[in-house]
Formats: sequence, structure tokens, C-alpha cells
Amino acid sequence: MGRRRRRGYAVGALPEAIAALSQTLPAGPSPEIFRRAKFDRPEAAPALWQLLFRVLSPPPAAGASPALGAQVRLVKSALCSQGYPRRVLAQLPEDGSQGSRELLLALAWLLARGPLLEHLLAQTRVWLGDEIPLCQYEALANPGPPAPCQEADGPVDIRHLQWLMGKLRFRWRDLITSQQELCALLGKIHSYTRGCHSDRSLGHLSVAEIQLLRDPEGGQQLLQRLESENTRLEAALQWRRQELVFWQWMDTVLGSCRLEASPATVLPRDPASGPGELELVAWELQGLHGELQGAAEPRRAAWEAKAGGWGPEWSTAQRAIQEAVGRDLAALQRAWEQGGAPALPHRPCRLVKRDARAVEGPGLWAAELTGALRIRESRLEAVLGRLQTRCRQELARLAGAEPGLIWILPSSR
Amino acid sequence: MLPAGCSRRLVAELQDALDACAERQRQLERSLRVSRRLLRTWEPAETPAAAEPTPEPETDEEAPPPAGTPSPQDLRELELLTQALEKAVRVRKGVSKAGERHGALSLKSAAPSRAATASAPPRTSGQAGRQASETKPPRGVHQTTVPARGLPECRLPSVGDRTRMGRGASTTKPRPGLRDQQIPPLAAPRAPEAFTLKEKGSLLKLPMAYRKAASQNSRLWAQLSSPQTSDSKDAASMAKTQFLQKMKTTSGRPGSGLAAAEVEAEAGLLRKACSLMRQRMEEVLSADPADRMQEYHCLLTLEGLQAIAGQCLHRLQELRAAMAGQQLGPWPEGRCCRASVPCGGRTDPTWSPQLLLYSSPEELQSLSVLGLRVAMLDQQIHLQKVLMADLLPLVGAREPPGTPWLALCRAVHSLLCEGGERFLTVLRDEPAD
Repeated sequence: MGRRRRRGYAVGALPEAIAALSQTLPAGPSPEIFRRAKFDRPEAAPALWQLLFRVLSPPPAAGASPALGAQVRLVKSALCSQGYPRRVLAQLPEDGSQGSRELLLALAWLLARGPLLEHLLAQTRVWLGDEIPLCQYEALANPGPPAPCQEADGPVDIRHLQWLMGKLRFRWRDLITSQQELCALLGKIHSYTRGCHSDRSLGHLSVAEIQLLRDPEGGQQLLQRLESENTRLEAALQWRRQELVFWQWMDTVLGSCRLEASPATVLPRDPASGPGELELVAWELQGLHGELQGAAEPRRAAWEAKAGGWGPEWSTAQRAIQEAVGRDLAALQRAWEQGGAPALPHRPCRLVKRDARAVEGPGLWAAELTGALRIRESRLEAVLGRLQTRCRQELARLAGAEPGLIWILPSSR
Repeated sequence: MLPAGCSRRLVAELQDALDACAERQRQLERSLRVSRRLLRTWEPAETPAAAEPTPEPETDEEAPPPAGTPSPQDLRELELLTQALEKAVRVRKGVSKAGERHGALSLKSAAPSRAATASAPPRTSGQAGRQASETKPPRGVHQTTVPARGLPECRLPSVGDRTRMGRGASTTKPRPGLRDQQIPPLAAPRAPEAFTLKEKGSLLKLPMAYRKAASQNSRLWAQLSSPQTSDSKDAASMAKTQFLQKMKTTSGRPGSGLAAAEVEAEAGLLRKACSLMRQRMEEVLSADPADRMQEYHCLLTLEGLQAIAGQCLHRLQELRAAMAGQQLGPWPEGRCCRASVPCGGRTDPTWSPQLLLYSSPEELQSLSVLGLRVAMLDQQIHLQKVLMADLLPLVGAREPPGTPWLALCRAVHSLLCEGGERFLTVLRDEPAD
């Protein structure tokens, strides 16, 4: 299709781009919906609400998605918390019957902000290899702000908490033994299928691949999932080639909206849930600041007391030390701002059993990872120990004020 | 009894932790079930139509053939082929040394599209042939591959001799080439041997369709994750930035531009900052300065850390003020946004999977257990902080004084200081009357 007009995009490239987009998106609506959304047609709205719901929340496990009204609420709250600038969205009715143009703008906004498509594709990615959990599984460690309506019963006895903690300890123990067993089994499977894989760098089959051979029906399903993922990947690549046209079109869509004149309607905030996270961090930082002050001030006083009579060569040394400390601390700051350089992978890795003598080929060696993890483990143990010590001191202080009691601490193993 | 708000928060946190463990345990058990099943004897000749594999192997000779198996005529031909091969093997064994075989012996399949062929185990000459076999149905003399017609065929190995010879082959060469000397089950003796992964796992071969799809998949992912440097990409990213800018200006919102998700991310950064700074502080405090230069270094470091901590606190106050203001809107409902797009577009450029190489099961076990321990410690630290924040004030409030407070103290001490594993004892020291 040549450029027929001097409009800057080729006629016919836009439908292709939109078709590629809708094919890449999970539960993507047909290109017709997009066209109708430009004109704010109401019949296009429900499909777009559902699309945004699917994009903004992880795929439902059981396949039962909530009703449209709940989806609408969730989409609104998610977009709002991500900082969606237009307030019209919040005012759209909850039955999902209107606002298709606004939803189209919201989708484009999400697409423009980050690698949305790649992220969605990675979410539903077909994994063909075996993995073990390393600490990239953040969801396991930090569940995040607690969901408000769980266990909303009244006051509980502290023994209930103790019971829950005990239960948690046992679950972890179970997890560890199950994981060990699984590793032993995987080791066997990998060594029994040595030399089978067509890909030389892998060398042996994974459980998923052996399943494929054992159960033809399951194997067919896996194959179908792979092929449909390939289709989506190709559509994503095509989208990349043609997305400029889409953005030019979105400009026109945005242009056809009226400028917002209405004042903001503030959404009511739920006071019960909320920035517990910030409070915790504040508490920690304050503690740290206090400790640093407590350590630095006496040292400064002692230093000042000894000052004098150092001589001229001291001032050059002094400057050198100041610079060195400045560089040190700047590097430290960079470490948390840029996320540091974790030696650990942040994505599941495919397990491959390989002879220790064979050095060629890319890949992370388990032995190196073990080293990095041990360091991390010891750091975390130190942190936990420190917290526990702090509690012990605090409790001792609180209890010490009570006369006439003897506290016998448990003997530490 | 603990107050209601405190109870709700703590129970919710602990319940979350328990749920996360339970979910992980479920996944592990699923994987265990699958792996155990694969290591047992495989039941032969499961029909694809059957949803669940039948527990007993089918002894019926006329078992309905799985979809895609050859017609009876093909089977007869194959049986003839098999017999010819067996004879040839016997002859060859007598003639040449065991393990030496030339490509001339290997039979060309009638057509690769036929269901399955048996072929001689290739020797060193099979190397070149193997490369070709990977890509398309080979027409080379040396070997033939088994196209993926009817996956069940791949599972059942050939009988007796051939298997042993195949095994012999694999012990002489570190990487056996073609290993599917397989005959479809219906041409073989009527009671097919049971298949175990242990004995015959190295004879398995993946079907061609799967291999093509898998290699295409990894190729596409590599393409998708490679950084693009074309003009169209630059134009597109400029268009995107302009679009975002326009969206902001048409909204008329003067806001601080902070979204709740961004605040959360910053809180995470500050938390990390705190722990890194604390670590550095510990290092400095535990080191003994040898001379006054080192002493000065320590002093400056501590003061520098103090200053940075002060800046972080300041930033935190700003975040709290922004949260308290009206600009941000509600906290995301539940945890729906956890898995959503990372805001700010911090991209992860390489999406292709890395390989994790291990050389022994013990290595793998220790690595995975370490991974779990680290996750567990992370969780414990989080819970510890949450419990401290809620329970210590209760003890400090000291109401009511007396036995209930002592019980509370004891329980809190156990939870916070001993991880809930040990308890202290409290004795009342009564003055002697």
C-alpha cells in the first residue's frame, strides 16, 4: 500500500496495526471495536472494560471472572492508582455501558508508558523447562498490603497468633522437604533422558517434554498453546513495525475529546487499608537515624577534643578522606536507586543437568548461585537476629519496671 | 485479648503468609505427582481418546490403534522390514566387530511419511547425518528419523535385541545419535514390554511438530527481546511521549504527578536504602580503627550516613503528605495491581530464559533449599516488623496490670524474640513474710 495522501500514514496500514494489536493482547477485541470506540459508541464499551480488566489484573486461575460491575470498579481503581491523568474515567457509570473512547485512551496510555505487551506475553508464557524457586518469587515473601476483608472478626487472643505462627513454621518445613524430594526426582529424570534433546545445549528432556511424549492428549494441548503463543509473538513483532500509525491515529482520537472543564470529583478513600507500608519504613528509618546519631555524636566530640596539632600534611589527608567517603556513600546510594546488580536471576531459569567438566555454553552455574544465596541468607539472618535483640531489650526495659518478678529466659540452643 | 484493629491486621498478615505457603506447596505437590508418575512404569498404548490413562495395560491384542498409526498393510510391511533387519543384524554381528557398522546397512525408509521405520544405530558416521535430521526429514543414507505420527509410538521401544544394541551404542558414544529403533507396538510381539524411564529414557525422541514449534518460539522471543535501533522505533517512542504529554495536559489536573503505585515503589526503595545503610553502619561500628585516619574515616562515614538517613526521612514525609492529600485516589483494591504493568516503564530487556546448570542432584537440592530459606527469612523479617509495630505498644501500655499483662508479656516475648519456639518463665518473687 503506497502513500496515497500526504497524511503521513499509508491507508490500510492502520487496520493492520490494530489487527496486530488485538491479536497480541489477551482477550483482544476485534478491530471493529477499536473503530467504534473512536466515535464513543456505547456498544464498544463492555469489550474494552473487559480488556482493561484482563490487562490490569493477573489472569483468573479458575476461569471465573467477576461481573462487569466489579470489573469496572477494579479497572478504575487500578488506573487511578497508577496515576491515570484524566478524571473522566472515574465518572463513567459502573454498568459498563459508556465511555468507549475514554477506555481506548486509557489503553493507549498504558501501552505508551511501558512494555505492556511484552509483559502480558511473559505472564502467560509457556514454560517448557523445569524450574526451582529462587528468591525472585517476591510474591511469596512479601504479600503486600493486606486485603481488607479477610478475617475481619473481632478481637482475638494472642494464642491464636501463636498458633498461626506455629502452623506457618510447619508449612515451611513441609515445603523444604517436598522441594528436596522434587529435586532428587528431577535429577533422576534428567539423567535418564540424557542425550535425547534435539537442542544440544540442553541435552536432556524436561518434565514437560516427557509428559508430552507420555500423554498424547496433553501433548497436543501443549503444542497448541505453543503455537498460539507463536502467533501472538509474531503479531507483537508486526505491531512493533507498524505502531507509529496507531499513535498518529490516537492523536486524532484525543483531539476529538472535549477539554475537561469539570472540577475533580474525589473518590472516597478507604481509611482502614492504606499506607501501612510507609509507616513501617518510617519507623525503621527513624530508628536507624537515631542509632547513627547516637554513634556519630560521641565520636565527633571525642575527635574535636583531640584536635589540634596535627600539622599541615593532615589537611591534605583530611581532604582525601572526605572525598573517599563521599564516593563511597554515593556508590551506596546508587546501589539502592538502581536496584544494584543482583547476582541472582530475576526470572525462572530452565534447569539443565550438565557435566561439571563441560564448560562451554551460556548459563548460570548452580554452585555460583549457591554462594550468592548463602551470603544473602546470612545477611537476612543477621537482620532477623538484630530485630529480635531489639525486641528483647525493649521488653526487658518494659518488664524491668515491674518489681518483684523474676524473668527466666529460655536457654538458647 | 488483643484490640480489634490490631487483631485484624495481624491475623490478616499471618493468613497471607500461610496462603502463600499453601499455594507453593500445592504447586510442588503437583510437580511431585507428575514426576513420580513419569518415573514409574509407563502403561502402554493409551488411546488419545481416553481422558485418563487406564491403570492396567491393555492386554487386548486388537487394542484400538491410536490416531495416526499405520494401516494394517503398512504394519505388515514393517514387520517384514523388522525381520529383515533382525536377520541383517545377526549376519553383521558375525561379520564385523560389535559396534562397527557402516551407513550402507541402515535402511532407507520407504518414505519418511510412513508411520515408523526401524533403522540401524548410527556410529560415528552418523554425526553429519544427525545435523541434517534435525531440520527436515532426511534423505541421507545414514539414518532416518521417526516423524511424529502418533506420539505413542515413540514411547514403546523395540524389543530385546535392538534395545540392547541401542544401549551398546549409547555406551560407546557419549552422545548417541538416532535412538529410536522403534517399531510400532502393534507390529511387535503382542505383549509390549513395559517402558520405564530409567532403562529406556535415552531412547525417547521429541516429535517434529513440537521441535519446530519450540525452536520458533525461542527464536521469536529472542527477536522480541532484542533491542531495536531502527528509525521507526525512535519515531514511535517519540510519538508515545508526545501522546502521554498531551494526555496530561488535557486532563487539567494540576496534581503532584504521584501515583499510589509509584509511592509504593519508592517506599520499597527507601526500605532497601535503610537496610543497606544499616549494613554499612554495622561494618563501621564493628571495625576497630587502627590509626586516626581510619578513625576519621569512620566518623565521616557515620555522619554521612546520618545525613542520608535524614534525607530519606524527609522524602518519606513528602510521600506521606502526598498520600494524605487528595491527589492520589484509592489504594488499589486488594492485590490486583501486583502483577500489573510496572509503572514508570522500567523494562526488563531479556525475556529469553536463562539456563541454570547443575551437575549433581545434591547441588540442586542445596540450591533450592537455600532459595526457600531466603524466601522464608524475608517473610519472617516482614512478619517480625509487623508484629513489633503492633505488639510492643500493647506491652508498653501496660493495661491491665496484673496477671493478664504478664501472660501477654510472655506471649509477646516468645513471638518476637524466639520466633514462637520457646517461652520464658516468670516467677513472682514474694517477700518472705
